[in-house]
Amino acid sequence: MNLGKVKTIYLKEMLDTLRDRRTLISMILIPIILFPVLMFGMSAVVVMMIKKTEAEVTRIVIIGKEFAPDDFENKIREQDSTEAIIYYDAAELKSEFTSEKLEDRLEDYQDSVVAARLRERQIDQSLLHPIKVSKRNLAPKEKMGGFMLARFLPYIIVILAMSGAMYPAIDLTAGEKERGTLETILVTPVSRLDIATGKFLTVLTASVITIILSTTSMSLTASFGFAKIGQFASEQQIQFSIKPLSILLLLALMFPIACLFSSALLSVALFAKSYKEAQSYITPLMFVVILPAMISFLPGFELDWRLVFIPIVNISIAAKEVLLGTYKWGFILLIFISTFIYAGFSIFVTKRLFEKEEVLFRT
Amino acid sequence: MITTSNLTKIFRDKKRGEVRAVDQVNIKCRLGRVFGLLGLNGAGKTTLMRLLSTTLKPTSGTAKVAGYDIIQKPEKVKEKIGFLSNDTGLYNRLTAEETVTYFGRLNNIEESELKGRVEEIFGTFDMDEFRQTRIDKLSTGMKQKVSIARTFVNNPEVLILDEPTLGLDVVTSRSIIQFIKESKKLNKCVLFSTHIMWEAEKLCDDIAIIHKGKILEVGSLNELQAKTGLKELDDIFVEIIGDNRGE
Repeated sequence: MNLGKVKTIYLKEMLDTLRDRRTLISMILIPIILFPVLMFGMSAVVVMMIKKTEAEVTRIVIIGKEFAPDDFENKIREQDSTEAIIYYDAAELKSEFTSEKLEDRLEDYQDSVVAARLRERQIDQSLLHPIKVSKRNLAPKEKMGGFMLARFLPYIIVILAMSGAMYPAIDLTAGEKERGTLETILVTPVSRLDIATGKFLTVLTASVITIILSTTSMSLTASFGFAKIGQFASEQQIQFSIKPLSILLLLALMFPIACLFSSALLSVALFAKSYKEAQSYITPLMFVVILPAMISFLPGFELDWRLVFIPIVNISIAAKEVLLGTYKWGFILLIFISTFIYAGFSIFVTKRLFEKEEVLFRT
Repeated sequence: MITTSNLTKIFRDKKRGEVRAVDQVNIKCRLGRVFGLLGLNGAGKTTLMRLLSTTLKPTSGTAKVAGYDIIQKPEKVKEKIGFLSNDTGLYNRLTAEETVTYFGRLNNIEESELKGRVEEIFGTFDMDEFRQTRIDKLSTGMKQKVSIARTFVNNPEVLILDEPTLGLDVVTSRSIIQFIKESKKLNKCVLFSTHIMWEAEKLCDDIAIIHKGKILEVGSLNELQAKTGLKELDDIFVEIIGDNRGE
């Protein structure tokens, strides 16, 4: 390998890539704006809906008016029991809210009736509640913050790591075939290995930039966002404080997966004849990544001796645990090693494809 | 100089089976001469030129280009050649200067000499006015100039030009023709493929007619005229090809 040539190719490809609008959007714009938009957009919508519904004047229809309130009140007064049925439409948020309100009122009323009856009989209220149950949350604040983030964050970052690498990978291979620039570079005295390495490093850079930007954007958004959500989370004040070590470890865990994605995308896109063909190969590949990455959403999965060797799944779970402040160093090391081995294999395939004239000159 | 010996390239195609794209080719292109390769579409011109530029590897046989064997020393061969074809595009997002500089670096020009070389090239091809313009903003003619500059950046001894005028307008084609004439004056060895007869007639010192991967005839225009008893190159071409159509 000629490092000077690799550098020349890398610098040119980076310049070229940074002048490509499509790449800039997927590599820089999307990772920066995705989290704020998701977080503030979604919470704003939810808050707006709740406020609107709460503020609305609710209308209640009483059926069987002839029995109420005389019969109802008489039964209560006579120490008898009676019935109130609340009809509501569970598919309508407004109706559901109203029914809850009504139920609360009725329960309050019932409590006061019970209290009055007990007083009349001179019975202490505590007789009804021999055990007083109370709950205290022991989770530290960072775990509460992490818990929310840890579920969806690994998933989103894995996907962004792939989408950030996607356009450059297509542009530098199938795109070059389409524009005829691949042959121009193949007739220069540069080895195929140097070309492949320069291109691989470019795609890897794009993926790493996407990962760093999205992680930063997510951390900042979350620290602002939770403060806002906190106003509505009355019971548990959620605070965002993920340890810097967790963030660093998350970034480190994403690095081998970025290597794997970059080389896999390059190989697939190099095989394609045109930009379009490459896109149609990569779309199904996206699902191959999305499904295992989604494991971070599911409760109950912990790293074990089997999962630690499954690519993407292992990173997704490890990232979730790391964000929750659990560091299983042995497993983390194994994930590094295994993912680098997969990436190494994938890079080897990419190199071989770059040496195959049937692939380079596929017509 | 280009000398081929029994150069052969066989492709395996699912539909057509074994295709002998280049079949036992023996040609000799000398310095200071233009060697024309004449053939129909699919005759094997592009494959032959790709073999000589070492982007494809021969199935059997070999060739020497500028003193180096294409199988043993492909990197050396690439250093000595300038390759231009319809398929050698330019990077749209680079400027003319960035393009020439980039290919200069890839062609092992020392960093200390590179600037001077780029200056020289821009002067020679009269490209200073669009030096800082991005390729995608250039006209076809300007692009072609940049392509030629790119081909010339390493001051190649051998030029391999695969249908360089295909799809170009008259003015741009003329600049290519002019470039071939200049190269000949500079004592370069030019291998030039075309299916436009008058271009070959006007430019070539030696003409080879290639059909289905085989070289059917080689010689100067005079020799071909004498051999066939015909005057015009297109008549000669059809006559020679016609004899072998049934194969």
